[in-house]
Amino acid sequence: MGILAVLTEAAVVLSVLLSVSLGVVVGPRQVRRGLADHRARLWMAARPLAVLVAVLALNSVVRDYGVSVSWIIGLNVTDEIYAVEGAVVATLQSVAPLWFVYYLGYVYVYGYVFLLVFPLLATVVTGEHRLLRRTALAYTVNYAVGMTCYVLFVSYGPRNAVPTVEPLLFDLLPRFQLLTSEVNANTNVFPSLHTSLSVTAALLALDTHETFPKWTPAAVVLAASVVLSTMVLGIHWATDVIAGVLLAAFSVWLANDDRIDAIGRR
Amino acid sequence: MERSVDGSAGVSRRSVLTSLVAGLTATSGCLSRLRAMVGRQEPSAVTLSIKTLPVDEDPFAIPIARQLSAWFEAAGIRTSVQPMTAGELYQQVLLNHNFDVFVGQFPSHVTDPDALYSLLHSTYSVEPGLQNPFGYTNLLMDDLLEQQRVEAADARAEAAAAIQRQLVDVAPFSVIGFPHSVRAARTDQFTGWTAAFDPSIAHVLGLTRVDEDATTLRATTPDGRPMANLNPLMASYRGPSDATDLLYDPLARRHRGTLYPWAAGEWAWTESDPPELELTLREEMLWHDGEAVTADDVAFTYALLQDTSLGSLEQAVPALRFRGRSSLVENVAALDDLTVRFRFTDCTRAVASRALTVPILPEHIWSDRTSRAQFSGVDVGVTTTEALVTDAIPPVGSGPLAYESVTSRQRLVLDRYEDHFLHRDVETGLPSSFASGAPFERLELQFVASDSSAVDRIANGEADVTALGVGPDLTSRIGRTDELSLHVNRSPSFYLAGFNARRSPLTNPRFRVLLSRLVDRAALETSVFEGYVEPAASPLSGTTWLPSELSWSPDGSAAEFLGSDGVVDTEQARAAFRAAGYRYNEQGRLIR
Repeated sequence: MGILAVLTEAAVVLSVLLSVSLGVVVGPRQVRRGLADHRARLWMAARPLAVLVAVLALNSVVRDYGVSVSWIIGLNVTDEIYAVEGAVVATLQSVAPLWFVYYLGYVYVYGYVFLLVFPLLATVVTGEHRLLRRTALAYTVNYAVGMTCYVLFVSYGPRNAVPTVEPLLFDLLPRFQLLTSEVNANTNVFPSLHTSLSVTAALLALDTHETFPKWTPAAVVLAASVVLSTMVLGIHWATDVIAGVLLAAFSVWLANDDRIDAIGRR
Repeated sequence: MERSVDGSAGVSRRSVLTSLVAGLTATSGCLSRLRAMVGRQEPSAVTLSIKTLPVDEDPFAIPIARQLSAWFEAAGIRTSVQPMTAGELYQQVLLNHNFDVFVGQFPSHVTDPDALYSLLHSTYSVEPGLQNPFGYTNLLMDDLLEQQRVEAADARAEAAAAIQRQLVDVAPFSVIGFPHSVRAARTDQFTGWTAAFDPSIAHVLGLTRVDEDATTLRATTPDGRPMANLNPLMASYRGPSDATDLLYDPLARRHRGTLYPWAAGEWAWTESDPPELELTLREEMLWHDGEAVTADDVAFTYALLQDTSLGSLEQAVPALRFRGRSSLVENVAALDDLTVRFRFTDCTRAVASRALTVPILPEHIWSDRTSRAQFSGVDVGVTTTEALVTDAIPPVGSGPLAYESVTSRQRLVLDRYEDHFLHRDVETGLPSSFASGAPFERLELQFVASDSSAVDRIANGEADVTALGVGPDLTSRIGRTDELSLHVNRSPSFYLAGFNARRSPLTNPRFRVLLSRLVDRAALETSVFEGYVEPAASPLSGTTWLPSELSWSPDGSAAEFLGSDGVVDTEQARAAFRAAGYRYNEQGRLIR
């Protein structure tokens, strides 16, 4: 399958996932109302979304040049991580049944993107601007800290450093490599941004349970699956995951309502 | 002085004097005792780091390194494994000499004993580059290396055998074996994959186009270096068979043991002690930018290899590759536009002719690269030249393929160079696999992040062949897939564990030999290579230069494993290290 086919598949899968869950979680009436008022709602959402887009653009520049800088100034911590946790990932891989690995493979790619995009979409449609700003700010903090760590630390994931760990994602679903190799340099594993962003989305869902009550359980299950997938697929160390969870907690704490209001007033 | 407890008057004058004298005497004894203790180095536990490539870039490197690390640990040596990307690994190993042990495939082919000259001669131990990265120094070895240059026939073979025996005896590096590279290829557009395929010229030019509409040969590689740098002098970016071989022409090319005239149409030896050679370039050769290839370019190239500053800096800055071959040349003079005269150092003609296989560089491009290298106009205090830091993109060569483009470090595109002598209607005198030139319009080298996605890409028709070997775990998948054909060939470049003899305790040959005796090649053959390897003890294995006693066999004595069946006998290993003068602390760690 070529890159175009893979991208088409991703676009179709994500559109279906997003529209169905928008219908279930937000409800058709709210969606219709949002669509009728789409100009005003998009206008209100423009600034937080623009910030997020800017951070993503900066992120891709850092990924390009950061890797070279990282080799000059960064600390190679691969073996220290291995020394601390040893065979955790290999053990997880050995107990995971094949169907579960396939499930995690799809979660790692589609589930993750869905988990991050849905809160943005739902808040724009319903006009929940405060939650939108919280989400955008929390994501931004994740990226900012993650990028800094990627420059400061050089670290290969377990599939690259431990012979007993299999690169399961690329063995079972090789077409996804076309998507992930473009975004992920293989020395950028500490911390796991997959983990931190997913956990961020889940924590925000828990914190604002009353806004989209049906979303909370889905977000928690998905986030847990993404966290597992990063390890079972051999991409991240348990250490990266722990660091990712801490980063998520920090970003959600930082992006609390008071601070959002303070930014909003300015 | 304090009063005593019972209140007595204290100290008499005599007792003060006595104690003073006694004290002085004691102090002088004390000082010598102190001197005998101060400044000594406290024994510390030996730690080694093994630097190597990540799994994405080499299917065997990490498994070998982990296994070595486990074996070294069993002998009480604390060992860590540091994966790093190829450009960084070879920068640290070859240029910065910043490593203890490195594991990987040797980035060049060794088919002639003289290839060991630059690898092991002590005069190269202080130079950065592919020459003597181990910092190995041994006068006896130097003599042997010089001897094989001047001796002929049997005497040379004997010198070559002695070099290899010495190599095993003192272990500046330990050869592990020659891998059997596993490749996947499609056969709907090109065939002729019978030979191992890599971006080397013999394999690219030897293909046959079966689909008349096929214009592009697409090869995948997990090595991103050719997309970042195409400088043929840059040791850290060049692999054993490299894309630059297609971009640049040497004067002569070796193919299956025979030296064929390449950019030089013909040559004649005029002297033999020391050898002299008169050589004529093929007519109407052009650089890829349209300038004519001249005898001056040839003379310039050999001068540049010996000193890339061409005398403009206070000290010579030799090239980071081709050091052994360029050192054979005493002087090169351009006699007219196409004729060159070589005067060689003291060596046989057979050895001298090795010098003809280095790439010829255009003077009009490289003469601007002889100044001291700076970073954004700032001198960073490193004496090197522009020629040894430039990425040389776009490259200007004269080879059968010319540079077209590099796309975001993912894809290198080379186009068939129609003005090359292979592609013009002229008689070349070359064997048929070369003579018809490139059987395609375009060669595309695609970077892929891992070997399983490379196989996937070929199965989907997005590429034709994996340029480098893939992991043996993929053989069954390649065999099962209808569109793919499976090719397994012995690679000419061996895996090795290289030791940095500049660093204690690796300075000690006894220590290095014991380390290499902690490597069980038979166990690696089954557990790491899954049989896809020819274990070897000498870099010249597989050539006629190998002395019979060094040919590897599972129970041979070339370097006896300190254990059995891949398990180190801890007691035996410790006894061997103790016998070499090392000790162990209470935690069972080797100390020095």
